[in-house]
Amino acid sequence: MKPNIPPLNIAKSNHNPSIPATSPHQAILQPARSRFYSDTIGESEMTPPMTPQTATQSEQPMEPVEVPRPVFHNYLRAFYPFHPAGDVSPSTITLPLDQGDIILVHSVHTNGWADGTLLDSGNRGWLPTNYCEAYDQIPMRPLLKALTDFWDIIRGGCGSSLKDFGNQDLMRGPIAGVRFLLEKSECLTREAPLVKQYDGLRRIRKALLSDLSSLVKTAKRFQDVANGVPSEEEVEAILDEMLLKAFKIVTRGVRFLDVWNEEVGLGRTIAEMETAGAQSDLPPTPLSATFSTTPSASTSDTQPERNESRQTNHSRTAFSRASARTETVEPHRPMSVATKRISISHRVSYSGPSSSAHAQNLASERLVVSYDAFLSVLGSFIGLHMQSRSSTELVTTTQQAVESCRSLLAVVEAICEHDSPRTMLLQEAREAMCEKLSELVHAARDVFRPAHIHDDDLVFMPDEGKRLVDAATDCVRAAGNCLAKSRLVLEHIGDIELNSLEEQSSTTQAVTSIINPEAPSCTKAAKERPQDLSLRLPPTPLSIPISTFSPSTPGLTDSTTPSSLQSHLNSTNSPAHPLASSTLPDSASVSTHADQASSFSSYNSNFRESHPISDVSESFGRGVTSTGSSFTYHSHMRDSEMSGLSRTSTRATSPDIGSSFHGSYKVHSLKESISHSTLAEESEEAEAHLLEKTFAHELVYKDRQVMGGSLRALIEKLTAHQSTPDATFVSTFYLTFRLFTTPLKFAQGLAERFEYIGDTPHAAGPVRLRVYNIFKGWLESHWRHDRDDSALDFITSFAKNRLSADLPTAGRRLYELAEKVAAVHGPLVPRLVSSMGKTNTAIGQYIHPDTPLPPPILGKKETNLLRQWKNGEATLSILDFDPLELARQLTIKESRIFCSILPEELLDTEWTRKSGSLAVNVRAMATLSTDLTHLVTDSIVYLEEPKKRAATIKHWVKIANKCLELNNYDSLMAIICSLNSSTISRLRRTWDNVSQKTKIILEHLRSVVDISRNYTVLRQRLQNHVPPCLPFVGTYLTDLTFVDHGNQSLRSLPTGDGEMTVINFDKHMKTARIISELQRFQIPYRLTEVPELQAWMQNEFVRVRSNGESPNQVFYRRSLVLEPRETCRSGGNLHAQSQASAGQNTLTSSSSQPTHHEEPSQAVSILENAREKLDFLSWTNPSKKPVASNG
Amino acid sequence: MRPQREYHIVVLGAGGVGKSCLTAQFVQNVWIESYDPTIEDSYRKQIEVDGRQCILEILDTAGTEQFSEELYMKQGQGFLLVFSITSMSSLNELSELREQIIRIKDDEKVPIVIVGNKSDLEEDRAVPRARAFGLSQTWGNAPYYETSARRRANVNEVFVDLCRQIIRKDLQGPSGGVDTTRKRDGPSRGDRKRDKGSGGRRRSPCVIL
Repeated sequence: MKPNIPPLNIAKSNHNPSIPATSPHQAILQPARSRFYSDTIGESEMTPPMTPQTATQSEQPMEPVEVPRPVFHNYLRAFYPFHPAGDVSPSTITLPLDQGDIILVHSVHTNGWADGTLLDSGNRGWLPTNYCEAYDQIPMRPLLKALTDFWDIIRGGCGSSLKDFGNQDLMRGPIAGVRFLLEKSECLTREAPLVKQYDGLRRIRKALLSDLSSLVKTAKRFQDVANGVPSEEEVEAILDEMLLKAFKIVTRGVRFLDVWNEEVGLGRTIAEMETAGAQSDLPPTPLSATFSTTPSASTSDTQPERNESRQTNHSRTAFSRASARTETVEPHRPMSVATKRISISHRVSYSGPSSSAHAQNLASERLVVSYDAFLSVLGSFIGLHMQSRSSTELVTTTQQAVESCRSLLAVVEAICEHDSPRTMLLQEAREAMCEKLSELVHAARDVFRPAHIHDDDLVFMPDEGKRLVDAATDCVRAAGNCLAKSRLVLEHIGDIELNSLEEQSSTTQAVTSIINPEAPSCTKAAKERPQDLSLRLPPTPLSIPISTFSPSTPGLTDSTTPSSLQSHLNSTNSPAHPLASSTLPDSASVSTHADQASSFSSYNSNFRESHPISDVSESFGRGVTSTGSSFTYHSHMRDSEMSGLSRTSTRATSPDIGSSFHGSYKVHSLKESISHSTLAEESEEAEAHLLEKTFAHELVYKDRQVMGGSLRALIEKLTAHQSTPDATFVSTFYLTFRLFTTPLKFAQGLAERFEYIGDTPHAAGPVRLRVYNIFKGWLESHWRHDRDDSALDFITSFAKNRLSADLPTAGRRLYELAEKVAAVHGPLVPRLVSSMGKTNTAIGQYIHPDTPLPPPILGKKETNLLRQWKNGEATLSILDFDPLELARQLTIKESRIFCSILPEELLDTEWTRKSGSLAVNVRAMATLSTDLTHLVTDSIVYLEEPKKRAATIKHWVKIANKCLELNNYDSLMAIICSLNSSTISRLRRTWDNVSQKTKIILEHLRSVVDISRNYTVLRQRLQNHVPPCLPFVGTYLTDLTFVDHGNQSLRSLPTGDGEMTVINFDKHMKTARIISELQRFQIPYRLTEVPELQAWMQNEFVRVRSNGESPNQVFYRRSLVLEPRETCRSGGNLHAQSQASAGQNTLTSSSSQPTHHEEPSQAVSILENAREKLDFLSWTNPSKKPVASNG
Repeated sequence: MRPQREYHIVVLGAGGVGKSCLTAQFVQNVWIESYDPTIEDSYRKQIEVDGRQCILEILDTAGTEQFSEELYMKQGQGFLLVFSITSMSSLNELSELREQIIRIKDDEKVPIVIVGNKSDLEEDRAVPRARAFGLSQTWGNAPYYETSARRRANVNEVFVDLCRQIIRKDLQGPSGGVDTTRKRDGPSRGDRKRDKGSGGRRRSPCVIL
């Protein structure tokens, strides 16, 4: 079925070409429209209260005393019908409302109009909030929140990335929401007494479940589609379908609650009131309480009107059970705020891209913009004044700072005004910021004043400078505080739109009140603002008052413009229209409207084809699903003399609707209910879903990644049945769980999961198997005897008793496995070299196994030498061998250790433990690396002649270069480390003998292993490498250390009642990612080992290691002996300063002190020479700034 | 003069003294909830020192204590020598590190700040303050701070102090002739040392929680 939901696509068409086309029309038609509008305004006193119930009631004088505190509500429920007049242009989307309709609110304009989506139809548009009231019933909260999340994910993300989230986690929200609703209403199971007792409840419950099951099915289909190669349209279509179904679930849930309240809640309340006479906390609170506290998101000036109308409504009609059900929200605010935090921003950003003009006026946007501006001025302010000492500049920047601060304050003030009772804290923050700003100004003045006195030393005025810095820092802090507080307020009251300047808003209000002091400014403002937006005028402050009504008209008259896609840009209703339409439903005019709306084409077609059969479909759909329930509601509504046209719940059964526009308007959703609700077995499945106990709400997600969660939630994720668990997640868990729990607790958690999934029959089988498999994988490949043996007894008994009872074979196997683990040391099924790294990377270049290994470059001569060495007949040096072959043998040796590094060696900085470290291989790597460094130094500093030393250096450079060719960065690093050391680099006479060519190569090698910018060069190279490769292990160790120390182990998760602390799984994911990066390279080289050469190398390493405790000192002394420190008068700015040698006193024995000086003249020339070399050799500083000590 | 300067600071110390915590605390802003050390800017931070914008690139090779450290020292312009106040041996290890630094920088006046970390573990203190001060004095009055990376105490201060030293040295650079003359002149060493000492004492007092 092709979903008929054009309005859902609105956001995607923000570059609709028709928009520019609209503007000229608007401009041309402006005069005509303005006339029309002024006419309208004459009638515009027909405000919402002018419904039949409008007659002014004076019996509620206490009403205005308690001004309801605006809270941003995600959901509104219409309590008046609202139907725009038929001649409203299609380019202006207002949302027709029926009484009882539920609306998902995206943003609320200051004027009281809200951008919302009607859940019944999926249509989006502007609606007057004063026709609605907040819908926030406790039993519905999780479900409503789930829908908000759902919307944010589907509509908040960009189209392409949506393909990625084909998992069932998304479904958990709605499922849990429905479960919560049914739980609260004591209707969780079919056997519940209430369900049995009330037929209406039973039916609507069943319908709700089948809706749910339908959604779950669609989600599954989505998964299938997403796994294939779906077209954009396909994905979008299914997503839209899912969204619509989710809407429907909520609508149904609301209806369910209505019925429940009718059937059960009311009776209970009455009973309670009779018995206790006290106010109950059950949903149907006393009516007056409801009204006085019903929060509204509209501006305060519309408040009295609205409240009055409501009071009126209340007093005239005994109705109000619907609204009464909207219980007092005040006491629960903390909860709703917590849950709303994410969603608000989402939806703001959602509407943002569609219209930049629109977004600029959102308070949150403006807040951020002005805050950023202020910070940047502050930053430049401080930077500027310190380098340029001109006082004028400082004055200018100070002024800038003050100005930008003011604009920030202006926004803050606007927010304050918007909602004064709530902004105590914000006011405080604002005052603090003013204070800090003045301190900054004073500090600035004090700083530049001395600048005139002694100009050069300004920088060295630490006290004044410090004061300025402190003042600026305080400013930043205060501004941050202001920002945070403002955001908090915005979260409470919902985002508001600000006029670009304050005077603007006041002018607007003034104009409003002049023209019609009694008229609800809400509706009027509705005309002004959106039009203004669509004309993209908001930044100019005066345009709004001037163009109060005239600019709004063209959009309305211009029925030929199909620009309606930007629904939230065009609100457009004359206040008269809603009333006209609600009193005179005119399907003909509406259908013309629809005809003209090109963007509504699909809706339109739906409308047409469904119109004739709407009676049928309705009676079908509702007849099956909810007749019973809506019946009572309906009759109740009748009693309350409400307009028969406008009821959500009763719409389906009321016979007179079918012919009206409103009936057909909802047809497509009803069609779905036919196709799904009638299938009884589906509700069974949904019921099963519901009964599933889950801790999924204890997980923290970010970008579809699990960031954290409680242990049981993580275990649940680990053993999810709907989808194969993410391999990274599983391996991360196996690898790191000992860092956040104990093996015993992990085992117990798995057993618990095994237990509670039993409540969910349809999932129990797969999940229990998964639990078994997790146990099995753990025992087989991830068991660590040193840590896990404590859990073995538990696992054994679990296998023997619990597991065997349900899965006899699995139980027996696990038992055997546990027995084996107890007996054997070491893993039963050894992992291959690595398990993680290989799952997520393509393994290096494929080399056919038959490809012969490269033959060693080892001539007869070398072989003979090695033999002689073995017999103690000859001494060898590296010069005797080919650099490539030496590099190969080094590589083989290192690679062998590297490949045997186990992941657990890399956890929890295990390798740094002073004693008893398990990280034997990591430490062996480090040792080998250090040994190689020492060997290089050793092979150089024990040669007496500079030329020989130079030859050896050259050979090592060649070897290092070959290492680079072999991608052996670890050896490369070790060799460079030695050549860079002070011991070697200071040997100027030696370096004189090294050829330029070698030096150029060396310079290149240095640039590869350059540490600066966090090893950017090295990291980039590694990224592109395919194994075999020997990365420098040090970077991994440093990364792991910093992940460990730079991230908290726990993170907080906002929940309904405060916060809970959960495991920061993200930290472990990061750890695992780094380890898997390392493991990616744990693939042996295909090189031929030359055992003789290896033996000699090993011997060399051992010899070097035996040099003593601190070989560096020995080498350095030796270096000083070889080429003594040059003391000469002319070398002042070279590094041969006398005090340097004094500094060596502690280290160098007096014998190694420079004794044999060279001839002065010679020394000078050598020095000059050396200076060149030194410059050449000196480490290239990225900032190209001469190091101070070098002069 | 350029508006921003970039300085390389090397953090050194034995394993387990918490120097990586110190660096991580300094580099990341408090509100970052997820710290990724593998990206290029992981160790860069812009700070203000006496109103001057500086970019500090921190070279902290935490976790690689077994590897040779000279490689990193070469690039450093200032050094944080970190020990833990709960471990005397970690203090003792600093001496060799300092010798290495001076050797490789060939400059006895290289900017150094001595940091006694873990000041929150006062009850486990193994290094008396006097001892650390003594070390500071023998090292030409290198400033000594006690920090707590865990409580984020004095973290910024040590980096700022070090940066200030580097800047000061930097500014002396162009007019270094005078300085060098003094360097070569044996007796004046004491004067200079006094100068620096008093300067150090005034601007960078030991801050104790």
